[in-house]
Amino acid sequence: MATNPSFMNGVPELLILRTLEASEMYGYELVQTIRAKTNQAISLGEGVVYPALHALEREGMLKSRRKLVNGRTRVYYSVTRKGEKHLAGLVRHWQHITDAIGLAIGGTAHAAVTL
Amino acid sequence: MLQSRFNRLSERLLHAGIAPRHVRRYVRELGDHFDDLVREENAAGTTRELAETKALSRLGNDDDLANAMLSRPELRSLTARYPWAVFGLGPVAMIALSVVAALFLEAGIIMLLDYLLHGVIGYAPATEAAKIANAKIATQIFTVYNTLAVYGAPLLFAWLFYRVGSQQRMRPAWIVTGVVLVCVLGGFQNLIFYDTGCRGCGRLLVESSLIPPFSHFTESLARAALNLAIACGVWWFAVRRKALSAMELHTARM
Repeated sequence: MATNPSFMNGVPELLILRTLEASEMYGYELVQTIRAKTNQAISLGEGVVYPALHALEREGMLKSRRKLVNGRTRVYYSVTRKGEKHLAGLVRHWQHITDAIGLAIGGTAHAAVTL
Repeated sequence: MLQSRFNRLSERLLHAGIAPRHVRRYVRELGDHFDDLVREENAAGTTRELAETKALSRLGNDDDLANAMLSRPELRSLTARYPWAVFGLGPVAMIALSVVAALFLEAGIIMLLDYLLHGVIGYAPATEAAKIANAKIATQIFTVYNTLAVYGAPLLFAWLFYRVGSQQRMRPAWIVTGVVLVCVLGGFQNLIFYDTGCRGCGRLLVESSLIPPFSHFTESLARAALNLAIACGVWWFAVRRKALSAMELHTARM
Protein backbone atom coordinates (compact mmCIF):
# COMPACT_ATOMS: atom_id res chain seq x y z
CA MET A 1 0.00 0.00 0.00
CA ALA A 2 1.38 3.43 -0.88
CA THR A 3 1.79 5.65 2.15
CA ASN A 4 1.31 9.41 2.15
CA PRO A 5 4.51 10.91 3.65
CA SER A 6 2.69 13.66 5.56
CA PHE A 7 0.63 11.01 7.36
CA MET A 8 3.81 9.12 8.22
CA ASN A 9 5.22 11.76 10.56
CA GLY A 10 6.02 10.09 13.84
CA VAL A 11 4.92 6.64 12.61
CA PRO A 12 8.41 5.11 12.26
CA GLU A 13 9.27 6.27 15.81
CA LEU A 14 6.04 4.82 17.16
CA LEU A 15 6.56 1.47 15.44
CA ILE A 16 10.21 1.26 16.40
CA LEU A 17 9.64 2.07 20.06
CA ARG A 18 6.65 -0.25 20.30
CA THR A 19 8.54 -3.14 18.71
CA LEU A 20 11.70 -2.65 20.72
CA GLU A 21 9.71 -2.33 23.93
CA ALA A 22 9.30 -6.11 23.95
CA SER A 23 12.93 -7.04 23.37
CA GLU A 24 16.19 -5.67 22.04
CA MET A 25 16.76 -6.17 18.31
CA TYR A 26 19.13 -5.27 15.52
CA GLY A 27 18.00 -3.38 12.42
CA TYR A 28 17.10 -6.25 10.10
CA GLU A 29 15.27 -8.13 12.85
CA LEU A 30 13.36 -4.97 13.77
CA VAL A 31 12.26 -4.27 10.19
CA GLN A 32 11.06 -7.83 9.67
CA THR A 33 9.09 -7.71 12.93
CA ILE A 34 7.44 -4.42 11.93
CA ARG A 35 6.59 -5.82 8.49
CA ALA A 36 5.02 -8.86 10.08
CA LYS A 37 3.11 -6.83 12.70
CA THR A 38 1.64 -4.40 10.17
CA ASN A 39 0.85 -7.12 7.61
CA GLN A 40 3.20 -5.22 5.31
CA ALA A 41 0.64 -2.38 5.14
CA ILE A 42 3.36 0.16 5.86
CA SER A 43 5.89 0.03 3.10
CA LEU A 44 9.18 1.78 3.78
CA GLY A 45 12.62 1.32 2.25
CA GLU A 46 14.18 -0.97 4.87
CA GLY A 47 17.38 1.08 5.07
CA VAL A 48 15.59 4.23 6.20
CA VAL A 49 14.95 2.73 9.63
CA TYR A 50 18.57 3.38 10.69
CA PRO A 51 18.49 7.19 10.71
CA ALA A 52 15.37 6.94 12.88
CA LEU A 53 17.22 4.57 15.23
CA HIS A 54 20.24 6.90 15.40
CA ALA A 55 18.04 9.91 16.09
CA LEU A 56 16.07 8.11 18.80
CA GLU A 57 19.28 6.99 20.43
CA ARG A 58 20.64 10.52 20.30
CA GLU A 59 17.48 11.77 22.03
CA GLY A 60 17.95 9.17 24.75
CA MET A 61 14.89 7.12 23.78
CA LEU A 62 16.98 4.13 22.76
CA LYS A 63 20.28 2.69 23.78
CA SER A 64 22.49 0.46 21.70
CA ARG A 65 25.16 -2.12 22.30
CA ARG A 66 27.34 -4.23 20.08
CA LYS A 67 26.86 -7.95 20.32
CA LEU A 68 28.70 -10.76 18.58
CA VAL A 69 26.19 -13.14 17.00
CA ASN A 70 27.32 -16.02 14.75
CA GLY A 71 30.69 -14.38 14.24
CA ARG A 72 29.17 -11.02 13.24
CA THR A 73 28.98 -7.87 15.31
CA ARG A 74 25.47 -6.51 15.42
CA VAL A 75 24.21 -3.25 16.88
CA TYR A 76 21.30 -4.13 19.17
CA TYR A 77 18.83 -1.43 20.18
CA SER A 78 16.58 -1.34 23.22
CA VAL A 79 14.16 1.20 24.72
CA THR A 80 15.18 3.37 27.66
CA ARG A 81 12.91 4.63 30.46
CA LYS A 82 12.64 7.96 28.62
CA GLY A 83 11.69 6.06 25.46
CA GLU A 84 8.94 4.19 27.29
CA LYS A 85 7.42 7.46 28.49
CA HIS A 86 7.66 8.96 25.03
CA LEU A 87 6.03 5.86 23.54
CA ALA A 88 3.09 6.16 25.93
CA GLY A 89 2.59 9.75 24.74
CA LEU A 90 2.83 8.74 21.07
CA VAL A 91 0.30 5.94 21.51
CA ARG A 92 -2.18 8.33 23.20
CA HIS A 93 -1.66 10.84 20.40
CA TRP A 94 -2.27 8.24 17.67
CA GLN A 95 -5.31 6.84 19.43
CA HIS A 96 -6.72 10.36 19.57
CA ILE A 97 -6.10 10.79 15.82
CA THR A 98 -7.61 7.43 14.84
CA ASP A 99 -10.65 8.16 17.03
CA ALA A 100 -11.07 11.53 15.34
CA ILE A 101 -10.73 10.02 11.86
CA GLY A 102 -13.16 7.27 12.81
CA LEU A 103 -15.71 9.93 13.75
CA ALA A 104 -15.04 11.99 10.63
CA ILE A 105 -15.63 9.11 8.25
CA GLY A 106 -18.79 8.22 10.04
CA GLY A 107 -17.64 5.10 11.77
CA THR A 108 -17.12 4.32 15.37
CA ALA A 109 -14.96 6.40 17.66
CA HIS A 110 -13.27 3.25 18.93
CA ALA A 111 -10.86 2.60 16.10
CA ALA A 112 -7.98 1.88 18.41
CA VAL A 113 -4.46 1.47 17.16
CA THR A 114 -3.31 -2.09 17.49
CA LEU A 115 0.42 -2.44 17.15
CA MET B 1 28.98 -2.12 -6.97
CA LEU B 2 27.56 -2.08 -3.46
CA GLN B 3 30.77 -0.61 -2.08
CA SER B 4 30.85 2.19 -4.63
CA ARG B 5 27.17 2.89 -3.95
CA PHE B 6 27.87 3.14 -0.21
CA ASN B 7 30.93 5.29 -0.89
CA ARG B 8 28.78 7.70 -2.89
CA LEU B 9 26.20 7.73 -0.10
CA SER B 10 28.92 8.40 2.52
CA GLU B 11 30.33 11.29 0.51
CA ARG B 12 26.88 12.79 0.01
CA LEU B 13 26.07 12.60 3.72
CA LEU B 14 29.47 13.91 4.83
CA HIS B 15 29.26 16.85 2.44
CA ALA B 16 25.82 17.63 3.85
CA GLY B 17 27.30 17.80 7.33
CA ILE B 18 26.16 14.49 8.88
CA ALA B 19 28.54 13.52 11.69
CA PRO B 20 31.15 10.99 10.45
CA ARG B 21 30.34 8.55 13.28
CA HIS B 22 26.70 8.37 12.16
CA VAL B 23 27.74 7.98 8.52
CA ARG B 24 30.18 5.14 9.30
CA ARG B 25 27.63 3.32 11.44
CA TYR B 26 24.82 3.85 8.92
CA VAL B 27 26.88 2.40 6.08
CA ARG B 28 28.00 -0.56 8.19
CA GLU B 29 24.41 -1.27 9.27
CA LEU B 30 23.18 -1.00 5.68
CA GLY B 31 25.89 -3.45 4.60
CA ASP B 32 24.83 -5.93 7.30
CA HIS B 33 21.18 -5.45 6.41
CA PHE B 34 21.96 -6.09 2.75
CA ASP B 35 23.76 -9.33 3.65
CA ASP B 36 20.78 -10.45 5.74
CA LEU B 37 18.36 -9.68 2.90
CA VAL B 38 20.48 -11.62 0.40
CA ARG B 39 20.60 -14.57 2.80
CA GLU B 40 16.81 -14.41 3.24
CA GLU B 41 16.23 -14.32 -0.53
CA ASN B 42 18.72 -17.16 -1.07
CA ALA B 43 16.96 -19.23 1.56
CA ALA B 44 13.72 -18.68 -0.38
CA GLY B 45 15.38 -20.24 -3.42
CA THR B 46 16.31 -17.08 -5.32
CA THR B 47 19.55 -17.06 -7.30
CA ARG B 48 22.43 -15.02 -5.93
CA GLU B 49 22.18 -12.35 -8.62
CA LEU B 50 18.43 -11.90 -8.29
CA ALA B 51 18.71 -12.00 -4.49
CA GLU B 52 21.16 -9.09 -4.60
CA THR B 53 18.90 -7.08 -6.91
CA LYS B 54 15.90 -7.72 -4.66
CA ALA B 55 17.92 -6.87 -1.56
CA LEU B 56 19.03 -3.55 -3.05
CA SER B 57 15.48 -2.69 -3.95
CA ARG B 58 14.22 -3.56 -0.47
CA LEU B 59 16.97 -1.54 1.14
CA GLY B 60 15.77 1.63 -0.63
CA ASN B 61 17.12 3.75 -3.45
CA ASP B 62 20.05 6.16 -3.06
CA ASP B 63 17.85 9.22 -2.64
CA ASP B 64 15.62 7.59 -0.02
CA LEU B 65 18.63 6.39 1.98
CA ALA B 66 20.28 9.80 1.82
CA ASN B 67 17.12 11.81 2.50
CA ALA B 68 16.23 9.68 5.53
CA MET B 69 19.48 10.82 7.11
CA LEU B 70 19.42 14.39 5.78
CA SER B 71 15.91 14.99 7.13
CA ARG B 72 17.33 14.69 10.64
CA PRO B 73 19.32 17.83 11.41
CA GLU B 74 20.15 16.50 14.87
CA LEU B 75 22.49 13.98 13.22
CA ARG B 76 24.62 16.79 11.75
CA SER B 77 27.97 17.34 13.39
CA LEU B 78 28.69 20.34 15.59
CA THR B 79 31.39 21.33 13.13
CA ALA B 80 28.87 21.48 10.28
CA ARG B 81 26.31 23.32 12.37
CA TYR B 82 28.67 25.89 13.91
CA PRO B 83 31.78 26.10 11.72
CA TRP B 84 32.45 29.67 12.87
CA ALA B 85 32.65 28.44 16.47
CA VAL B 86 34.84 25.43 15.74
CA PHE B 87 37.23 27.05 13.26
CA GLY B 88 36.96 30.65 14.49
CA LEU B 89 36.66 30.54 18.26
CA GLY B 90 38.12 27.04 18.67
CA PRO B 91 41.73 28.03 17.89
CA VAL B 92 41.60 30.96 20.33
CA ALA B 93 40.17 28.79 23.10
CA MET B 94 42.53 25.90 22.44
CA ILE B 95 45.67 28.05 22.41
CA ALA B 96 44.60 29.86 25.58
CA LEU B 97 43.77 26.61 27.34
CA SER B 98 46.95 24.88 26.20
CA VAL B 99 49.12 27.74 27.52
CA VAL B 100 47.28 27.76 30.84
CA ALA B 101 47.47 23.95 31.09
CA ALA B 102 51.19 23.91 30.22
CA LEU B 103 51.82 26.65 32.80
CA PHE B 104 49.95 24.87 35.58
CA LEU B 105 51.60 21.56 34.77
CA GLU B 106 55.02 23.16 34.82
CA ALA B 107 54.32 24.99 38.09
CA GLY B 108 53.09 21.70 39.56
CA ILE B 109 56.23 19.84 38.46
CA ILE B 110 58.48 22.59 39.87
CA MET B 111 56.67 22.56 43.22
CA LEU B 112 56.73 18.76 43.38
CA LEU B 113 60.45 18.63 42.60
CA ASP B 114 61.13 21.33 45.16
CA TYR B 115 59.15 19.40 47.78
CA LEU B 116 60.86 16.08 46.96
CA LEU B 117 64.39 17.50 46.87
CA HIS B 118 64.19 19.77 49.86
CA GLY B 119 61.32 18.43 51.93
CA VAL B 120 61.71 14.67 51.51
CA ILE B 121 65.34 14.00 50.59
CA GLY B 122 66.64 17.07 52.38
CA TYR B 123 69.00 17.91 49.55
CA ALA B 124 71.01 21.13 49.84
CA PRO B 125 73.81 22.01 47.41
CA ALA B 126 77.17 22.17 49.18
CA THR B 127 78.62 25.11 47.31
CA GLU B 128 77.47 28.22 45.46
CA ALA B 129 78.87 26.76 42.23
CA ALA B 130 76.74 23.62 42.68
CA LYS B 131 73.67 25.79 43.22
CA ILE B 132 74.31 27.67 39.98
CA ALA B 133 75.02 24.44 38.09
CA ASN B 134 71.72 22.94 39.33
CA ALA B 135 69.85 26.12 38.39
CA LYS B 136 71.36 25.92 34.90
CA ILE B 137 70.24 22.31 34.47
CA ALA B 138 66.72 23.10 35.72
CA THR B 139 66.50 26.09 33.37
CA GLN B 140 67.64 23.95 30.42
CA ILE B 141 65.20 21.14 31.19
CA PHE B 142 62.23 23.49 31.52
CA THR B 143 63.30 25.44 28.43
CA VAL B 144 63.01 22.19 26.48
CA TYR B 145 59.53 21.63 27.97
CA ASN B 146 58.50 25.22 27.16
CA THR B 147 59.84 24.94 23.62
CA LEU B 148 57.91 21.73 23.06
CA ALA B 149 54.76 23.31 24.48
CA VAL B 150 54.87 26.54 22.47
CA TYR B 151 56.10 24.94 19.25
CA GLY B 152 54.35 21.61 19.47
CA ALA B 153 50.86 22.56 20.66
CA PRO B 154 49.96 24.91 17.75
CA LEU B 155 51.16 22.35 15.19
CA LEU B 156 49.28 19.57 16.93
CA PHE B 157 46.11 21.69 16.95
CA ALA B 158 46.65 22.67 13.30
CA TRP B 159 46.80 18.97 12.41
CA LEU B 160 43.67 18.37 14.48
CA PHE B 161 41.74 21.12 12.65
CA TYR B 162 42.91 19.77 9.31
CA ARG B 163 41.88 16.24 10.26
CA VAL B 164 38.46 17.18 11.65
CA GLY B 165 37.76 19.51 8.74
CA SER B 166 38.76 17.08 6.01
CA GLN B 167 37.01 14.12 7.67
CA GLN B 168 33.79 16.12 7.75
CA ARG B 169 34.31 17.44 4.19
CA MET B 170 34.28 21.05 5.39
CA ARG B 171 34.93 23.82 2.91
CA PRO B 172 38.69 24.45 2.66
CA ALA B 173 38.14 28.09 3.68
CA TRP B 174 37.03 26.97 7.15
CA ILE B 175 39.95 24.58 7.57
CA VAL B 176 42.42 27.25 6.43
CA THR B 177 40.87 29.71 8.91
CA GLY B 178 41.35 27.28 11.79
CA VAL B 179 44.88 26.28 10.82
CA VAL B 180 46.06 29.87 10.20
CA LEU B 181 44.54 31.14 13.46
CA VAL B 182 46.05 28.36 15.55
CA CYS B 183 49.49 28.74 13.90
CA VAL B 184 49.59 32.53 14.25
CA LEU B 185 48.13 32.73 17.76
CA GLY B 186 50.30 29.82 18.89
CA GLY B 187 53.40 31.51 17.52
CA PHE B 188 52.78 34.58 19.64
CA GLN B 189 52.60 32.80 23.00
CA ASN B 190 55.70 32.47 25.15
CA LEU B 191 56.37 30.34 28.15
CA ILE B 192 59.59 31.23 29.95
CA PHE B 193 61.30 29.71 32.96
CA TYR B 194 64.60 30.54 34.54
CA ASP B 195 66.15 29.51 37.80
CA THR B 196 68.69 31.76 39.49
CA GLY B 197 69.86 29.24 42.03
CA CYS B 198 68.32 31.05 44.97
CA ARG B 199 65.31 29.19 46.39
CA GLY B 200 62.05 30.99 45.56
CA CYS B 201 63.73 33.40 43.14
CA GLY B 202 63.05 31.41 39.94
CA ARG B 203 60.71 32.90 37.37
CA LEU B 204 57.95 31.19 35.41
CA LEU B 205 56.37 33.58 32.91
CA VAL B 206 53.64 33.36 30.34
CA GLU B 207 53.32 36.18 27.86
CA SER B 208 51.66 37.00 24.58
CA SER B 209 53.52 39.12 22.06
CA LEU B 210 50.17 40.35 20.79
CA ILE B 211 49.53 42.27 24.01
CA PRO B 212 51.48 45.43 25.00
CA PRO B 213 54.44 45.74 25.56
CA PHE B 214 54.71 43.28 22.61
CA SER B 215 57.86 41.65 23.97
CA HIS B 216 59.66 39.15 21.69
CA PHE B 217 57.43 40.37 18.83
CA THR B 218 59.88 39.70 15.98
CA GLU B 219 60.79 36.29 17.38
CA SER B 220 57.08 35.45 17.73
CA LEU B 221 56.36 36.63 14.20
CA ALA B 222 59.09 34.33 12.92
CA ARG B 223 57.66 31.45 14.93
CA ALA B 224 54.17 32.07 13.56
CA ALA B 225 55.63 32.08 10.04
CA LEU B 226 57.50 28.85 10.78
CA ASN B 227 54.29 27.25 12.11
CA LEU B 228 52.46 28.27 8.95
CA ALA B 229 55.25 26.99 6.74
CA ILE B 230 55.26 23.61 8.51
CA ALA B 231 51.44 23.38 8.39
CA CYS B 232 51.44 24.26 4.66
CA GLY B 233 54.14 21.65 4.04
CA VAL B 234 52.22 18.93 5.86
CA TRP B 235 48.99 19.92 4.06
CA TRP B 236 50.72 19.84 0.67
CA PHE B 237 52.19 16.42 1.50
CA ALA B 238 48.77 15.07 2.63
CA VAL B 239 47.01 16.38 -0.49
CA ARG B 240 49.73 14.96 -2.74
CA ARG B 241 49.56 11.58 -1.01
CA LYS B 242 45.78 11.50 -1.39
CA ALA B 243 46.04 12.40 -5.08
CA LEU B 244 48.69 9.74 -5.64
CA SER B 245 46.67 7.00 -3.94
CA ALA B 246 43.57 8.04 -5.93
CA MET B 247 45.64 7.83 -9.13
CA GLU B 248 47.00 4.39 -8.14
CA LEU B 249 43.47 3.17 -7.45
CA HIS B 250 42.31 4.52 -10.81
CA THR B 251 45.25 2.83 -12.60
CA ALA B 252 44.57 -0.47 -10.80
CA ARG B 253 40.92 -0.39 -11.93
CA MET B 254 41.85 0.20 -15.59
